[in-house]
Amino acid sequence: MMNLAEINWHYLLNDGLVITLVGYLIVFMALVLLAFVFNAVPKLLDFQKRRYLRKRGKEATLLASTEDLSGEGNAAIGTAIFMFFNEMHDEEDTIITIRKISKSYSPWSSKIYGITRGLNRRF
Amino acid sequence: MRKLFTVIGIIAILSLVRLSFVSADHPASESENELAKKEITIEEGTDNLSEAKKSNGALKGIKNFFSYTGFANATLGHIAMLIVGLFFIIIAIEYNYEPLLLIPIGTGIIIGNIPFVPGFQIGIYEDGSVLNYLYYGVVKGIYPPLIFLGIGAMTDFSSLISNPRLMLLGAAAQVGIFLTFLGALMLGFAPPEAGAIGIIGGADGPTAIFISSRLANGINILPDGTTVKNLIGPIAIAAYSYMALVPVIQPPIMRLLTSKNERKIRMKPPRAVSKTEKILFPIIGLLLTGFISPNALPLLGMLFFGNLLKESTRTNRLAETAKNSLIDIVTILLGITVGASTQADVFLTPDSLLIFALGALSFMIATAGGLIFARFMNLFLKGKNKLNPLIGAAGVSAVPDSARVVQHEGLKADSTNHLLMHAMAPNVSGVIGSAVAAGILLSFLL
Repeated sequence: MMNLAEINWHYLLNDGLVITLVGYLIVFMALVLLAFVFNAVPKLLDFQKRRYLRKRGKEATLLASTEDLSGEGNAAIGTAIFMFFNEMHDEEDTIITIRKISKSYSPWSSKIYGITRGLNRRF
Repeated sequence: MRKLFTVIGIIAILSLVRLSFVSADHPASESENELAKKEITIEEGTDNLSEAKKSNGALKGIKNFFSYTGFANATLGHIAMLIVGLFFIIIAIEYNYEPLLLIPIGTGIIIGNIPFVPGFQIGIYEDGSVLNYLYYGVVKGIYPPLIFLGIGAMTDFSSLISNPRLMLLGAAAQVGIFLTFLGALMLGFAPPEAGAIGIIGGADGPTAIFISSRLANGINILPDGTTVKNLIGPIAIAAYSYMALVPVIQPPIMRLLTSKNERKIRMKPPRAVSKTEKILFPIIGLLLTGFISPNALPLLGMLFFGNLLKESTRTNRLAETAKNSLIDIVTILLGITVGASTQADVFLTPDSLLIFALGALSFMIATAGGLIFARFMNLFLKGKNKLNPLIGAAGVSAVPDSARVVQHEGLKADSTNHLLMHAMAPNVSGVIGSAVAAGILLSFLL
């Protein structure tokens, strides 16, 4: 069992509590600050792009807001473009196309030069 | 054939008897081995040894050999720790609980707890032993930053960048660290020891090792003149055990603190993140957190550096090495040495039991902190912006296991609701949060 007399109550109630509260607050503030900055970063980047486009005399409507673009949507668009350029299709067109290929004659596979020709004729 | 075996057997027995004579006449250690001292009496005037003396010597040689074996030196503590090591290996293989960590640690526990006679540079705590050299990386906090480098190189922060407000969940879950710090103080641990124990609540093994190697290393002197305890082994084992047990510890707390309807909440899909944002994140993150908590720079610096290697797309070779070969090598060394550091005579103390109890409590508080804060955030959010409170549980670091648990629990509530990507945001912010907390504790307590 713990001996309550051994506990440094003075430290616990003063420095201990201060470290706990201040430490937790600092962790919280650090991450809040990071969240705040990264909330602002896309807006800043958008603003910069718009300014760049405006300088070149182009309409800035193209980049309305990246915040509305979902990763899923981007993935679907990306896949569609990929499939289009690779001429892939999900559904088969059910038309069988058999191309006739004419081979040029080669004596290397000709049966008339086979070694069993004579035997076959005999029996 | 049988005759051949018989002849070989006789030769082997004769050579063993011969060896035992030699070892009886020249004991391997004269100063260190207490047992051997009791058993061995060095014969003087060996010129005229009689046959009786020879047979006596053989017996003593065998006894001497036996005294050096693990069987003669085994204690109940060793047996208990060997069972723990085997348990770790079994749950890793059978239940797939963090096998990459538990198999090296379990094997390390077995290696560290096979009884031996001290003084031959075998044990991890003996100067000059191979294990001692490898353990140097733990004691000096070398391995944790290298692990962080690998974590940084394999982590995709895009879910966090796309929804920065989820960082608050990672911050909220760090409540476990600070409340456990208070709990450890109440249980009579010295402040630096309490700080090192508290970090278990961060559910981040490398951070726990890093901070305990600085605060509870058995070297630092406390203001009252006493030396701080060496708690690296128990803290590391507790942290890694609870990380492995995330799928067991977290789900009941998640179900207890959330309603079924809340668990069904569908979150807005994360927006696409541009490459520029991904590159800016490690740079800004490093500058901000580094300035706030410079003591955590070895961890945060390596984490963000690893991420920059990945996101810059110019250093793919380095990123590949950091996230594969390097982290694998360090994980092997870290696991085996942390396991071996649990030598029964050093590890099995009442303090270790208290650390395990506090660690479990810390983990539960951290999980609850994240869940409750997610529900609190929902009070201010409307419609599609509402959070599924389950993702709050991923605020404890334990990357990526706690995010996986969230996904699993989310699927249980609604089989079409995938929360993994959302949960990764508080999960990685938990890593940053626990490292910042470690730095703050270091600056207060060192």
